Amino acid sequence: MKFYVCIKMVPDVNAPLQIKDGKLIQDADRQILNAYDASAVEEALVLKEKHGGEVEVVSIGTSKASETIRKALAMGADKATHIVTEGNGDYDSGSYARILARFFEDKEYDVLSLGKQSQDTDAGLTGSMVAEMLNLPYATNAVGLEAEEGKLIVKRQGDTGQEMIELPTPCAVTCSNDMNEPRIPNLKGIMASKRKPMEQVELSSLGLNEDDLTASTTVLGYEEKPEREAGKKFEGEAGEIAREVAQLLDTEANVI
Amino acid sequence: MSTILTHIAIADGKIKRSSLEVLSHCKQLADQSGHSVEAVVVDANASSFVEGIQKYGASKVYVVEDPIFKNHMNTPLLKALVKVMESANPSVFAFASTEGTKDILGALAANQNAAVLPDVSSFELMDGGVKAKRPVMAAKIISNTEAKGDTVLVSIRSGSYDLAENETSAEVANVDFSMDDSELKATLKEIISASGDTIDLNEAESIVAAGRGVKDEEGQKLISELAEVLNAGIGASRALTEAGVYDPSLQIGQTGKVVSPQLYIAVGISGAIQHVAGMANSKVIVAINKDPDAPIFEIADYGIVGDLYKVLPPFIEEIKKIKN
Repeated sequence: MKFYVCIKMVPDVNAPLQIKDGKLIQDADRQILNAYDASAVEEALVLKEKHGGEVEVVSIGTSKASETIRKALAMGADKATHIVTEGNGDYDSGSYARILARFFEDKEYDVLSLGKQSQDTDAGLTGSMVAEMLNLPYATNAVGLEAEEGKLIVKRQGDTGQEMIELPTPCAVTCSNDMNEPRIPNLKGIMASKRKPMEQVELSSLGLNEDDLTASTTVLGYEEKPEREAGKKFEGEAGEIAREVAQLLDTEANVI
Repeated sequence: MSTILTHIAIADGKIKRSSLEVLSHCKQLADQSGHSVEAVVVDANASSFVEGIQKYGASKVYVVEDPIFKNHMNTPLLKALVKVMESANPSVFAFASTEGTKDILGALAANQNAAVLPDVSSFELMDGGVKAKRPVMAAKIISNTEAKGDTVLVSIRSGSYDLAENETSAEVANVDFSMDDSELKATLKEIISASGDTIDLNEAESIVAAGRGVKDEEGQKLISELAEVLNAGIGASRALTEAGVYDPSLQIGQTGKVVSPQLYIAVGISGAIQHVAGMANSKVIVAINKDPDAPIFEIADYGIVGDLYKVLPPFIEEIKKIKN
């Protein structure tokens, strides 16, 4: 099976951050491979190991994104395409989807796989947008994948249960990080990644210009979340504090 | 005057409360700005929900009824919503943010060339679009975002707005719908449901959530007992759903469900940001943890420092007494 996996470099949400004049400032500017995309790469590698085929990663981003792409290659992806952008501050999901749809329009593949969302914005739109633009059958929020001849079997986490969905290939799927534990690249993988092909593609060579990519949504600024104050902390004999809190939930908080 | 369209989601034969929260808010926005608010319900028994929708102020209800909607599938749902959008021509189309919504929102936006704001915690109308607040960076901060366009899709986190009844006599528009198998791009083979009659976490008034501290069957039994006396839904942290202790549909957090019940009791949960992202908007938070420095205590209204195996039995007993 031929897998294309779309990956993205994102800020590490675990790193300390501040807001200054409505702008978001990350102390260390730590950029990492989006966790959901890492799961998508892992699952493609597992299926390739089982059934054969090829895993190619595709990423849109500035020149810095090549570090993230190398990581996916070090995990075991065979090759990569880096769609290079000048900046990426103003693009929204629609902009990214239009770039990907244009890139994939003349490509041949069985499965187009993406993380279900970016861990910084949690929008979760790009996957189904690309599928719609390319008129592909798709499933989102996959927690398991199986491949059969001409088919991808997706286990999808729905609202109240899991849905087993059979998609004819070519198809698109978005992956949850509940699917697997992405492998950590070993030294051999890291060394090998340096020799793997990474093709750079300019937006203009895809026939796209900035006007085609104008976002319909704009981030005006960031603000602190209304701070949730720590309440009362109870320490002491377990039975005593348990009964005291139960009473307070009734008389003070009025929730039982 | 333009139209605000709201999607009414159905789960287990009932209208999802989060959809009615969205409708309540849209009705208020429409009244303030002189727009009209309409609703669409897509289900195998869609017409049976019209009465329930009328209570919340929709002036027109689009009903798309077909056996194919018995279970969620993205292709037919998309087709139905595209059809309704083409006749309603809404300037805003609002959804409750559910897994069903997340499955189609991007595709619908692409199909209709609409702007889209997913998973917002509040939104308002502005000239030529919508302005919204979106929790980002694992819900640590809020992004003020605007969307411009003739049509804007928006999905709203459950618990963001209160219900407001507003009885109307809505016009009912039955929408013709048919789909043959060749149009159906995917096949739904099977649904593996969460065990029995679990309470939908997005709808639950109270939630008891178990974390890594709940180590064994005895701990799980205590969780179930507490949930039972409170008539609460049971949730879990990622550690326990990954370990297979609880069903994956019960996972609360950035990856799982985002909930905002009246009462959230975190048992043996340390409070990693990914978990907090899914529950920080609960009204009252109780944390039970033996580590006094656990980050969950920073957001808990009532923090009980202690071993859950020692705290829960008397806690459950006391709540039973109060309830009686």
